[in-house]
Amino acid sequence: MNKQSLVITAFAVLVVVLLTVVRSCDAEREATIDSDDLQPVTVMLDWTPNVNHVGLFIAQTEGFFADEGLRVEIIEPGEVYPAAAVLSGRVEFAVDYQEYLTLLSEEQTGLVSIAALLQGNTSGFATRSADGIESIANFADLTYGSFAAPFEEPTLRALLECAGSEDGVESITFVPVGSDSLTMLDQRRADIVWIFYGTQGFQAEEIGAEIDYFPMRDHTDCIPDYYTPILIAAQEYITAEPETVRQFLAALDAAYNFIAEQPGRAAEALADAIPELNRAELRRSVPWLTQHTHDSNGTWGGQEEEVWSEYAAWMHRQGLLSARVDKTKLRALFTNEYLPQ
Amino acid sequence: MFGGLLVAWLTLIALTRLPPFILPAPQQVLAEIVLDRAILFPAVLTTLGASLTGLLIAILLAFLASMVMDLSPSILRACYPLVVLSQTVQILAIAPLIIIWFGFGVQSTLIIVVLFCFFPITIALVNGLRHTPAEYTRQFRAMHASKWQIWRFVRLPSALPAFCSGVRVSAAYAVISATIGEWVGGSSGLGVYILRSKNALQTAQVFAGMLLCSALSMLLFGAIVLLERTSLRRYRQYNNTFEQLKIISKGEEWI
Repeated sequence: MNKQSLVITAFAVLVVVLLTVVRSCDAEREATIDSDDLQPVTVMLDWTPNVNHVGLFIAQTEGFFADEGLRVEIIEPGEVYPAAAVLSGRVEFAVDYQEYLTLLSEEQTGLVSIAALLQGNTSGFATRSADGIESIANFADLTYGSFAAPFEEPTLRALLECAGSEDGVESITFVPVGSDSLTMLDQRRADIVWIFYGTQGFQAEEIGAEIDYFPMRDHTDCIPDYYTPILIAAQEYITAEPETVRQFLAALDAAYNFIAEQPGRAAEALADAIPELNRAELRRSVPWLTQHTHDSNGTWGGQEEEVWSEYAAWMHRQGLLSARVDKTKLRALFTNEYLPQ
Repeated sequence: MFGGLLVAWLTLIALTRLPPFILPAPQQVLAEIVLDRAILFPAVLTTLGASLTGLLIAILLAFLASMVMDLSPSILRACYPLVVLSQTVQILAIAPLIIIWFGFGVQSTLIIVVLFCFFPITIALVNGLRHTPAEYTRQFRAMHASKWQIWRFVRLPSALPAFCSGVRVSAAYAVISATIGEWVGGSSGLGVYILRSKNALQTAQVFAGMLLCSALSMLLFGAIVLLERTSLRRYRQYNNTFEQLKIISKGEEWI
């Protein structure tokens, strides 16, 4: 073998070796899947891991998924829409929102909400305390930090109207803030931002930013309450694997009961699972979240038809949906059938 | 130089009084690296592995593509715009497609690294091959060298410096493109660490990840330069041959 072919061979070997090494890092967990009889399923989050996902991580770390015979891989969406990942069959379950699923209802995608991760909406609008904004009516002429969702403008328009503001949503300047809403609010680049209280509300406390908070929950007479986030799956998969769906939800139900009973331990477990998160923040946000995980009967995951129908009707009134969502279509959007009885 | 950057960083903090969740101090960032070493070490390995593998695949592909495009001017004319087009693709827009087709995990990251790194090498190598001094090829043709021999002994060696600078540019891109790949659909690596930390408003962690990315990029760049220097010795030999040929072709040392 001459020098030249030696170099080429060495290069080829290097590529193969590196590919194998890189693959094997990835395949480590797959190897463990093969080593037991647990059924592998994948669930995709709607964002990077945060307090809203505590049930999924607790079911994982405390072994509730394994008790149900499942080996669950939790993956992050990156730049993929969770709904698209479910439809493509790459993942079995995903975390999504009622807003998006309702918007998608016109496309007849066959996506179904199988459980509400939280009972109702825990999001709301935040402003700087220093600005002394006392009511939503004062939102006019301010700057709103947008994350570019289609329902932001209709939501603000409706809230302003209900608050009796003379100026419409047109008086509000929209600026893009992406995921930096709190930073932009604190640094006066935006005056209003839409936050999930469980994450950014507690982050604000952590960084010492004083905010006034206007929960969506206080304005359900204006905009009907809705479930956010929810768990979705494809109807095709649910029909094919009803038992897996039941097991998955049973494990989550157990996990949420565990969190309700021992929120402190759940916070530590989540911080251990995702060390990037702020442990001090989780110690306060996880116990807070437990107020919103179960309904008044102490049941986790249930969804009411009224919540789905009223929000869909509101979206239609706002022009977000071109047609009314009829009862058949509506009932295809969610189900309580696979929750533990 | 790095000392200057550090001073600038510290001055910026002192002057602007930006809160640490926007601009953390260098000591906070270093503390995060030490504190999070248990998760950062595997993250660094994942990202470095993906960058290096992606870069090598890109080199291989760029080499093959340049050879094909070098076959004839019409192939070159047909393919060159496609190579340029590959760089105009907005990665974020096609990211969901890449991930849905190739799945979550390292393969999607690799595709993005290759997409980034393939371009500078191909362009440089094609250019290098096209700009072989005509006098050398003429000389070889006069000596009845075959097309392959001319490619192998004249054109390829003379294109090597261009090729090397292409690889150098790609090496500088490799780590950042790997973190972008992880960002759009990875489950581990520095990109994931940075994204999770950013959304958790843990800015010192974000900077720690960023610092490690820069360190990896420079390491890779340095390694390529070193590799280039070692192989340069052989190239210098060629260069001497060229010089001799030049003299020969001018007939100054002939007879």
